Amino acid sequence: MYNAKIRGVLIEGDKTYADISSDVTRPMLIDKTPVWWWVASFVASAMLVWGVWGFYNTIVNGIGTWGNNNSVSWGWAIINFVWWIGIGHAGTAFSIFLLVLHQKWRTSINRAAEAMTIFAVAAAGMFPLIHMGRIWDGFFIFPYPNTRGPLWDNFNSPLFWDVMAISTYLTASFVFWYIGMIPDFATIRERTVSKIKKKVYGILSFGWVGSARGWLRFESAALLMGGLAAPLVVSVHSIVATDFAAGVLPGWHSTIFPPFFVVGAIFSGFAMVMTLMIIVRKVFHYEQYVTKGHLDAIARVLTFVSLIMGVAYIIEIFVAWYSDNPYEMYIFFHNRATGPYAFEYWAMVAFNAIVPQLFWFKKIRSNITVVFIISILINIGMWYERYVIVVTSLSKTFLPATWHSYSPSVTEIAVFVGTIGFFILGILMFMKFLPMMAISELKGILKETGAHDKPDFRDVLKAKKKNKK
Amino acid sequence: MEKPSQILGVFNDPDDMTHAVESLIKNNVKVKDVYSPFPIEEVWELLKMKTRIPYLTFIYGAIGTISVFAFLYWTSVINYPLTFGGKPHNSLSFIVIMFVLTILFGVVFTLLTLQFRENLWPGVKSKMPDTRATDDKFIIVIDRKDMGNISESELEKLLKDNGADEVNEY
Repeated sequence: MYNAKIRGVLIEGDKTYADISSDVTRPMLIDKTPVWWWVASFVASAMLVWGVWGFYNTIVNGIGTWGNNNSVSWGWAIINFVWWIGIGHAGTAFSIFLLVLHQKWRTSINRAAEAMTIFAVAAAGMFPLIHMGRIWDGFFIFPYPNTRGPLWDNFNSPLFWDVMAISTYLTASFVFWYIGMIPDFATIRERTVSKIKKKVYGILSFGWVGSARGWLRFESAALLMGGLAAPLVVSVHSIVATDFAAGVLPGWHSTIFPPFFVVGAIFSGFAMVMTLMIIVRKVFHYEQYVTKGHLDAIARVLTFVSLIMGVAYIIEIFVAWYSDNPYEMYIFFHNRATGPYAFEYWAMVAFNAIVPQLFWFKKIRSNITVVFIISILINIGMWYERYVIVVTSLSKTFLPATWHSYSPSVTEIAVFVGTIGFFILGILMFMKFLPMMAISELKGILKETGAHDKPDFRDVLKAKKKNKK
Repeated sequence: MEKPSQILGVFNDPDDMTHAVESLIKNNVKVKDVYSPFPIEEVWELLKMKTRIPYLTFIYGAIGTISVFAFLYWTSVINYPLTFGGKPHNSLSFIVIMFVLTILFGVVFTLLTLQFRENLWPGVKSKMPDTRATDDKFIIVIDRKDMGNISESELEKLLKDNGADEVNEY
């Protein structure tokens, strides 16, 4: 059927279809829950508990518990919101862009990337909720018939677009993620010997049988959903960017923002996918599925996106100078590159535009430890980018009388740490209870890209059968 | 006891299975269904299967675009027009929400269509002739009534010749 070796070996170690089923379901069905899982869950839960305290303090006592002030009215809450949304972009960007482009190397990574998306976007969504101050009035953001006119939302406001875009993105990503897991749940349902697991995965599998017509409809629907959700990846972060760009503040009011944010989101998301996949392949021994070639491919994407980031930083500075606008120039030359926020600015430039350029060297790309460190540095750098954008522009605006500095309060730190705990806990649950790789998709690419071309696949099977006899 | 009504050809290899489907069709045997652990496009082509889901998705999207625009127009122009900045009530920036919600309509209703057509709901009991099709077996289902003009032993030989691992009844 297929003999073309487009991208070389994607599944190493002469696997059979049965090997794939057993390898992916092993952590769920056979292995005992490892000690590190309990330790990590405990730490993440502790972080989450502290975050719940932060939430409680914010909701009961109000936004006054944060470090925001009249000048810097957006602080960590928005920084973390944009950061999480950015991370939440990779899953869908990864899985859907590469699906639409028929890139087979997505297969062993897309499930984890999508799971990451779900938890990251959920973590992001918490910030606007508590940032409202009066969370019990949260339903005001939806256009519903009310007794005040009825007064409708402002449909021209990027903040309202944001609500729509993010809830749509979360829904679409979740649907896409879940649909992809249905055949795998069926595999687990038929493999498990535990009665409870059979029942639970049976319910989750929606009665999937895997008939030809079912697969046809499934593939068609999945591709359509993927195709529909692909533009969302671009639109969600463009809309987040218009939250800023529609403001008239120097440093924000710029047409570069939407593409700049989208690229930044894909950048941080891919870095997080890299971090996660390095951990997964190591602790679950999935090196044969998530090969060095996969990590190499992600590193190459990161190198390219990092270049775009670098160009965007240069363009921002150039435009500030070229505009001849004293406020723009002040922000970029006196409040970002130099001044009290110079550390954050240069950390951003170094981590996002300079350090990832090390990936040009094959030695660095193939050293997993270094790749892991760089992937974490990128995420720190992307956090600094949002910090620089939000705080430097707000702290020193047009009137020096309104200038104010900003530092986060304990409550804000607690909320951020809490969302990190939530994210880690979500990923840990995913690792324990759900198939980490798309079993059916891996089987689908096994013939084309498996490492069994030297002895013919059928011969291997026949030999195995003989050995059994 | 009555004889089971279906014959199953169990294969280890998807290529053998598609070849078997091909030769079954040549011999005028009707293939009732094929169960496999992953989608196999050749089978759809051989069995001439088609799906109309893409057309439906387009319709859902179109309904989404139109109904969202109708809602925005009604709220902003007819029901409670608010003028700000001298801008027109019927704003071009409606396009953002129309775009986003078109996608939402498309995704949600495509999902529901798939669920209705395939009867995929939580708690539905799966009826598979051979559950190994979720692992590593590829199964051709043939109805005894639709064997064309070849006998059962000939059919079994045909399946075996094409690489079937087992021929079972169900």
